[in-house]
Amino acid sequence: MSEKFSKAISADEIAPGGMKAVELDGNEIVVCNCGGKYYAVQRRCGHMNAPLDMGTLDGIYLTCPMHCAQFDITNGEALSGPVPSDIGQEIPPPFLGQYLQNIGMLMKHVHTESIRTYETKLEAGWVRVRL
Amino acid sequence: MSQCKVNIESRKKSLHYFFEKVVEPLGFKFTPDVEMMNFLLEQEVILEGRHGIPFCPCQPLRNDRVRDMQIVCPCIPFHRKHFDEIKRCWCGLFVHKDVIDPDKLPQLPPKEVKNE
Repeated sequence: MSEKFSKAISADEIAPGGMKAVELDGNEIVVCNCGGKYYAVQRRCGHMNAPLDMGTLDGIYLTCPMHCAQFDITNGEALSGPVPSDIGQEIPPPFLGQYLQNIGMLMKHVHTESIRTYETKLEAGWVRVRL
Repeated sequence: MSQCKVNIESRKKSLHYFFEKVVEPLGFKFTPDVEMMNFLLEQEVILEGRHGIPFCPCQPLRNDRVRDMQIVCPCIPFHRKHFDEIKRCWCGLFVHKDVIDPDKLPQLPPKEVKNE
């Protein structure tokens, strides 16, 4: 881990309860404003790499937009895996049915891992992140 | 289900956070019986790990999507009349805000509830 804190984003660019993605030295990071306290986590979901900044932040809980896996932004801990989807009662066309079956079979083996967190500090109106 | 190693205590805490936001506007709160609350939340975390969804721990799953979705915790909106009459939900995780002692609440089957 680097000793220095890199300038990530101006603090007033993220409203309380909001988050924004930034790229720092090739690292994709989401900076979250949780009631005036800033947290930084890796941008990619610990399940299937979806961009977490497109999900929802509620308090310290970040929900992935893709399969609704949830994470605690204070420590990156994975709190739940994906929520199973449902295509309803309609029987899909054979090709699509086979495709969905294959996807389902592959997804069974995908683990949901915790996400990386980064130390942050607020300095002169900027959120700084330690890579 | 996909695999996710969940810390039960952390997940209980987050479910508590989310559920409170849902039940509070409906006039309910978590049961004051903390031991029971912890036990029920733990069961829901286990069910979520198994099915991906925190179903009510006291209701059976029937492989009927529509019916099963009506027992996703907190299931208060789907069974409001019954719960308002008995001042608690079926498993007892939630009680009406005015309830102090949940053990004194009556247990009424749905057919004995007015207007059910």
